[in-house]
Amino acid sequence: MARYLLKRIFYMILTLFIVATVTFFLMKLMPGSPYANEAKMTLTQQHIMNEQYGLNKPVWQQYLIYIAGMLHGDFGTSFQYSNQPVSSLIGARLGASMQLGLQALILGVVFGVIVGAIAAVKQGTWVDSTATVISIIGKSVPNFVLAVLLQYYIGLKLGLFPLAGWGQFSQTIMPTIALAVGPFAETARFIRTSMVDTLSSDYIELGKAKGLSRMEVIRKHAMRNSMIPLVTLIGPYAVALMTGSMVIENIFNIPGIGEQFIKSILTNDYPTIMGITMVYCIGLVVILLITDIIYGLIDPRIRLDESEA
Amino acid sequence: MLRLKKIMAVGVVALAGAALAACGNNSSNSSSGTKKTLNWMDKTEIEGMDLSKVTDGTSFTQLNNTMEGLYRLGKNSKVEPGLATKTTTSNDGKTWTFTLRNNDKWSNGDLVTAQDFVYSWRRTVDPSTGSQYSYLFSGVKNADAIVAGKKKPNTLGVKAEGKDKLVVTLDKRIPYFKLLMGFPLFFPQNQKAVEQYGKSYGTSSKTTVYNGPFIQKGWTGSNLSWKLVKNKNYWDKKNIKLDTINFSVQKTPSTDYNLYQSGKLDAALLGPQASKQLKNQKGYTLRKTSSTIYLEMNMKKKPFNNENFRKAISLAIDRKELANSVGGTAEPADTLSPENMTEVNGKDYTDLVRGEATKQFNTYNKKQAQAFWKKAQQELGKKSVNFAILTYDDDASKKAGEYLQSTIESTLKGVNVRVQSIPKKTALNHAGSGNYDVFLMGWTADFSDPISFLDLNTSKNSQNWEKYSDPTYDKLVADSKVTPSETKRWDDLVKAEQRIISTQGVTPLYHPEEAWMVRPSVKNVIYNGAGAPYNFKGAYVAN
Repeated sequence: MARYLLKRIFYMILTLFIVATVTFFLMKLMPGSPYANEAKMTLTQQHIMNEQYGLNKPVWQQYLIYIAGMLHGDFGTSFQYSNQPVSSLIGARLGASMQLGLQALILGVVFGVIVGAIAAVKQGTWVDSTATVISIIGKSVPNFVLAVLLQYYIGLKLGLFPLAGWGQFSQTIMPTIALAVGPFAETARFIRTSMVDTLSSDYIELGKAKGLSRMEVIRKHAMRNSMIPLVTLIGPYAVALMTGSMVIENIFNIPGIGEQFIKSILTNDYPTIMGITMVYCIGLVVILLITDIIYGLIDPRIRLDESEA
Repeated sequence: MLRLKKIMAVGVVALAGAALAACGNNSSNSSSGTKKTLNWMDKTEIEGMDLSKVTDGTSFTQLNNTMEGLYRLGKNSKVEPGLATKTTTSNDGKTWTFTLRNNDKWSNGDLVTAQDFVYSWRRTVDPSTGSQYSYLFSGVKNADAIVAGKKKPNTLGVKAEGKDKLVVTLDKRIPYFKLLMGFPLFFPQNQKAVEQYGKSYGTSSKTTVYNGPFIQKGWTGSNLSWKLVKNKNYWDKKNIKLDTINFSVQKTPSTDYNLYQSGKLDAALLGPQASKQLKNQKGYTLRKTSSTIYLEMNMKKKPFNNENFRKAISLAIDRKELANSVGGTAEPADTLSPENMTEVNGKDYTDLVRGEATKQFNTYNKKQAQAFWKKAQQELGKKSVNFAILTYDDDASKKAGEYLQSTIESTLKGVNVRVQSIPKKTALNHAGSGNYDVFLMGWTADFSDPISFLDLNTSKNSQNWEKYSDPTYDKLVADSKVTPSETKRWDDLVKAEQRIISTQGVTPLYHPEEAWMVRPSVKNVIYNGAGAPYNFKGAYVAN
């Protein structure tokens, strides 16, 4: 296990390095400067600014300087926010996105598993069809439409929750629901399918024959085995959710990182683009590693140590 | 692809929000809190509070209300007293002497002195500061050379004589100099604070010092809400009516309008649909942004070097229809300078420009357009012409491009238009390097004077991307800069603008506007399209 982990971590670092390199050079291919007032500045002035920020150097030199800075934990300062270090910008923004993402993931997955499991057990009945319809709606209605509807009817008309803002738990409820609908629908569909499969396997029949109660069969055997494919699904979902959604953040005025990323690309804010890309990437590789480890834990058929032998 | 999806998503949200806005017109408008509090919004985050470096409207609004300069811009961009109690100008207009009041303090307790102006100005023009607006100092002695890195910042034509006397030396007369002094870029800075906070200066409320009507609290550098509270040490504190202004950043029009309806906001920026539906409601307010969208035709290329061709294009455009089709709120433009920006002897400057030139060349006239096209065809020796209109990829620009394509193609037989909508940075890059046919240009005045627009297309201006070159025009603009007579100056500027219109050096199309709902009880909020947007010094909430 330890050897396996070491090897994985080595590959993770390699991946990060490659992503950083590719992103850096691709980013430098984007035309234009990172200056907001670009249209009004003369060319001479832009040259002087480029000198100030070292942007007149050859790209490979800029790359080496960037990598050297990164290894020292210096991600540079943002162009959109004068003087603001990228690390503190991301630090301040990531928290809100992660909290919302985590809440949404838990809410969505828990309800998804419950609804999916009930639908599978009651396969073919009206309960099953209702659950299917709900999950299809959840899958096809974009979350921002739901967000706008929630805000208008629950927030403004009924006044149950604050319309927007950040700071109190009550302000996170509506955006969490809006974000949770996607993973909920996906999980419900997944669990239902996989559980229907599991329920028809021989070992379930055996369990029943052994005299276990229906609930026990489902809880001990069917559920656990049906969860395995879900792990694959949750990993990338977790990263996507926790790194923020521009639209939901904008609707509910949440100081998250989702919009920052888009804006940094549109404004050529090089250090911020790099910083957020690296955060996304780290999130993804770590989650993938965790997923693989969890696999081993819940499915005895998968053994990590053997896979590298 | 992902980005495209997200941008589309934003569009849909705006639509959905607008549809909802239509359902709920008459809900609560009570509970706006106590009279001394105002709940205001801005569209974007604060970029920073370092006045040498910021570039955006949100930051300039914050600076304008938390800092004090020689003057303060009031209604219709009229200068009002700030720190200067007395101002004298030498006969040649090149030396300005300001006497400062001696009772204004920084929030760290220091007295505001003339030296703070000297320090601030030198810091801004110093290339190592990285100011993107330092070009506005052009005209102050040695400013251009310092900005270009050829002279030391301490050679700038500004000095302090004692604590309360500031003497400014100019290279040349600057007719709008007082107006500039009301722009936060020219406000003082406290050297002690700048040096004490170093890199973190101006990156949060706590690492900024203030000398204006309000003090900022609670901005952390990246959060979306903060407030301004009355500054008890302000020299004119008796004229500040509000105790607190709560600010929040709102990026979705349906959300801010919901908050407005629930009483949580006193002002809300409206989306395109809502702005149409709420037009007749009390509180509906149009903000003129002092900007103009116009066509720049690349005169290094055929057929755009042909004046008759340019005229044909201009006359083929129904500006009213165009303004309606861009989605938001916009006003048709027959002049290059926007309306409601500059007053000349009680009259709007653009009214002086309007006349034969605007009627003949910037007013939709299908027949005339075709006549000019015929002339152009003969002169060019061509029956047909193909070209591309380069635009940004935002919604309004794309719609404008589509409208132009359809009206030009249907009016002028043989002209084929392509619309090329690309991200702003890329488009600017193409335009700046002359790599385009026709560019849908947008320009916002830095200060409320038509020269902010007219300077651009003089032949030697480096931002004259289309390479318009007309000696008559150049001379009129140059003359306006040297004449000591106000009357002659305005006369020159009006003639210059008429000249560029009658030669179609640029083709003005529309002036973008912002539609807002502002609670009718909110009084005295001053908005100026050019420079710093808002001034809340005398604002109050009536019962």
